[in-house]
Amino acid sequence: MNTEVNFHPSTELLQKFATGSLSGGMNVAISAHVELCKFCRQQTSEFEAKAAIDWLQMPTESDESDFSDLVAGIIKQPQIDSIGSNGSALNEIHMLDHSVRLPKVLAKAAAEGLVWKQLGGGINQAELSLDDETQCEFIYMKPGSQTPVHKHQGSEITLVLDGSFSDELGHYNPSDFIARSGSDVHQPRSEEGCLCFAVLDKPLTFTKGIARLLNPINNYRFRRSLARRAG
Amino acid sequence: MQIVIWIREKRVFCDMAELSLTLDSTAMRDFAADTEPKQTPARSSEDGMHARTPDPDSDESLLIAVGNDQCTDAFNTLFNRFANKVFAHGMKITRNEQLSKDLVQEAMLTVWQKAPLYDLDRGTAQSWIFTLTRNRCFDMLRKQKRQPSCVSADDIWPSEEDEVDAREQQDSEFIGTELAQIDKFIKQLPLAQQAVVEQIYILDRTHEEAAVALDIPLGTLKSRLRLAMGKLRHLIGTE
Repeated sequence: MNTEVNFHPSTELLQKFATGSLSGGMNVAISAHVELCKFCRQQTSEFEAKAAIDWLQMPTESDESDFSDLVAGIIKQPQIDSIGSNGSALNEIHMLDHSVRLPKVLAKAAAEGLVWKQLGGGINQAELSLDDETQCEFIYMKPGSQTPVHKHQGSEITLVLDGSFSDELGHYNPSDFIARSGSDVHQPRSEEGCLCFAVLDKPLTFTKGIARLLNPINNYRFRRSLARRAG
Repeated sequence: MQIVIWIREKRVFCDMAELSLTLDSTAMRDFAADTEPKQTPARSSEDGMHARTPDPDSDESLLIAVGNDQCTDAFNTLFNRFANKVFAHGMKITRNEQLSKDLVQEAMLTVWQKAPLYDLDRGTAQSWIFTLTRNRCFDMLRKQKRQPSCVSADDIWPSEEDEVDAREQQDSEFIGTELAQIDKFIKQLPLAQQAVVEQIYILDRTHEEAAVALDIPLGTLKSRLRLAMGKLRHLIGTE
């Protein structure tokens, strides 16, 4: 709240977030940023309003579908007067010497607990399973750590939650939302230590025909790139 | 609204305690008195805006009628206006007729159930219904693809009420710990100085009133206050 946020999701991403056309993992990353960033919160509600207008202008096929038989069942249901609290999920991650308050959506996502793996080079990783299209994970870089140079296969989103890190293109602080595409080569390093949430594209998985033979190869590449990334 | 302002005042109190403990308490009271009345007209003009809901046939008026009076006629009208749109959104996202029909049921049921939570602060009825539709659609798709269900649409797109609650809670927790901290420091002062601080900052009395209450000369009160503030500043600065 008090630090300045320098890196935000692109307009296109926020628009897709508002219309609901992103994967679960991507939605979670943007939702967490939006909770931390007043500017993007305002943007999102503007995009929602615009999306609603587009929605109503979208031509409907015809009035052939008649849903009015649903009404009788619906109005028998009780209404809701107040929003029940979502209960308090885990909302902090405890680091060595301090704890970090998580955005609500990440707290919910991590509610079942995190399993941290040491990846070497001072990098720790805890995976979350949020959808089929992305790999989501918390990354903790110890103070003074540095990842090997790597290149992404797909895109990678990183949201800084605590501490900071740098790469060739900038220095990133809490709430910063960094998007990297497949062509970027970079080498993140962190002087003071850094907790992030990251979303990586999964490789294409083919579901039909002979192309399925490519899946093991793609997955192998994906895992190898993760391993390289981790060092 | 009230709570936020109250917190801000408290926060101002805390910040000032840290930065300049010598600040005269009457100035603080003036500051408080200054902020409060300004809120009242702002609020009433907002209420005035609420009162202006002209068209009884607008989506907003109908939605409010559904929420306030469980008005089934109003719901019927909304249903006829939106059901096909909801279906079209379902087809666009899922390309599946049965799922899209289920979405009409789910989304319009949510409109009925949550109508009491709608008010004009949440924007137009259209965008409210759109976001409900988007959210139900996201949850349905996730269920259909058998994806992990730990995070629901309502977690991803929390209603504003939730968010404000969370932030207020965070703020008051923050203030709470900070006040507890200050309390701890005050307890380290000599008793005579504690009494002065209590009179001025906790009971909110003027220097004159405090001097009378403690039965000490005004000059003594002022010097004790100055000593207490110096000590507090030292304590806060060193811990």
